[in-house]
Amino acid sequence: MLFRVDVAATEPLADQIAAQVRGALMRGELSPGERLPAARELADLLDVNLHTVLRAYGRLRDEELIELRRGRGAVIRGDADAARLRLVELARHFVREAHRQGLGEDEMVAIMREAWT
Amino acid sequence: MRRRWAATALAGTPAVIIPITWWFWAGDLPDPIATHWNATGAADRFSATPRFAALLVAITVAAVITAIVMVARTPRGQRHGYATGVTLATAGAVTGSAAGMWVATATAALANPADTRLGWRILFFLGGLAWGLVPRWAAGPATPSAAEIPSGVDPLDLGPSERAAYATSLRAPLLTGLPAAGGAVALLLALTGQRPMWLLVAVVAVVLVLFGRLRLTVDRRGLRLVAGLLGVPLKVVALSKIAAVEVMEINPAAWGGWGYRILPGSSAMVLRRGPGLVLHLHGGRRFAVTVDRPEIPAALLSALVQRVGA
Repeated sequence: MLFRVDVAATEPLADQIAAQVRGALMRGELSPGERLPAARELADLLDVNLHTVLRAYGRLRDEELIELRRGRGAVIRGDADAARLRLVELARHFVREAHRQGLGEDEMVAIMREAWT
Repeated sequence: MRRRWAATALAGTPAVIIPITWWFWAGDLPDPIATHWNATGAADRFSATPRFAALLVAITVAAVITAIVMVARTPRGQRHGYATGVTLATAGAVTGSAAGMWVATATAALANPADTRLGWRILFFLGGLAWGLVPRWAAGPATPSAAEIPSGVDPLDLGPSERAAYATSLRAPLLTGLPAAGGAVALLLALTGQRPMWLLVAVVAVVLVLFGRLRLTVDRRGLRLVAGLLGVPLKVVALSKIAAVEVMEINPAAWGGWGYRILPGSSAMVLRRGPGLVLHLHGGRRFAVTVDRPEIPAALLSALVQRVGA
């Protein structure tokens, strides 16, 4: 898959790398069982710190999108759900925009309820 | 097209030497004639002279017919493939060396029918062998020249502060299936008492470890094709060497078959028929690799090459 990061952007590099994997999953460019480059390899390819990649992979593991196995690298989980991931991404956008408008959690939930009915 | 027929004629030219010289020499040639010499240079094997000449003529005719068929099959107006070039060279070398062999043995026999020695006349044979280069040169190059480099693919829109890289594993039944199947059969035979088969099992295991997985990567340095768990680099192409990038349907026949192929003017890793990435290098060489969705690495490589050039 293709990875691209912008070193001048305010978004941390690890977040950008994680976003690339999520995006590829949503677009169907990555499928369950597929192997991501080893953290060391990707750090070398993008010329970024190894820990940056490890942080990105760690986040993806916490989101239950990939499995990290010693010596086997990062593998897309069999139950990685592209459809649900798309919703999560939309929710992230929503939350980011709500934060920018200074809304709190209760107000966000209220808006969600409003949209539901 | 005309060049190829001229090359075919050149490949066949030495063939006429045998019948013509036969006309002049037939009466004086000994029968049988010496056709093999031992280490000391004395003749140790003889052949019936007419049969020897006829055999050589038959060989030249077969070579010329092969060349004609090969050239006739090349579409008009299209550049001939690598195989045609090789066939023309081989036909030239075969007719040349057959004629050279004839001239060498005949002149040696005429010089001294009683104690025929080849000596320096071996040069006739070697010269005839070298004749293969003449039709090959006359046919012209088989690979595209720099003028034929394609316009390339749309480069990825890459900002100046952006870093991009591509990495993928190449999968192919050829890569793992065949050795694994062979290994399984060998293992079965080894278990049923065919002890030497253990060696084959070991060889297959080593091959699988070394080449069972291929990684293709593209980054700021260029393209890398790395084999196996040990990471043996098979091909490294620096960005500065790439003139153009192309996405193409890879036909294994056009690239010399399956696997890692090296031909004059090109090399390729062909794992299947289908889409692939083709790099046109400065100086006219090409490198191809079969990969799913080659547009992605192609667009990235184009962008990176542009960036280096800017």
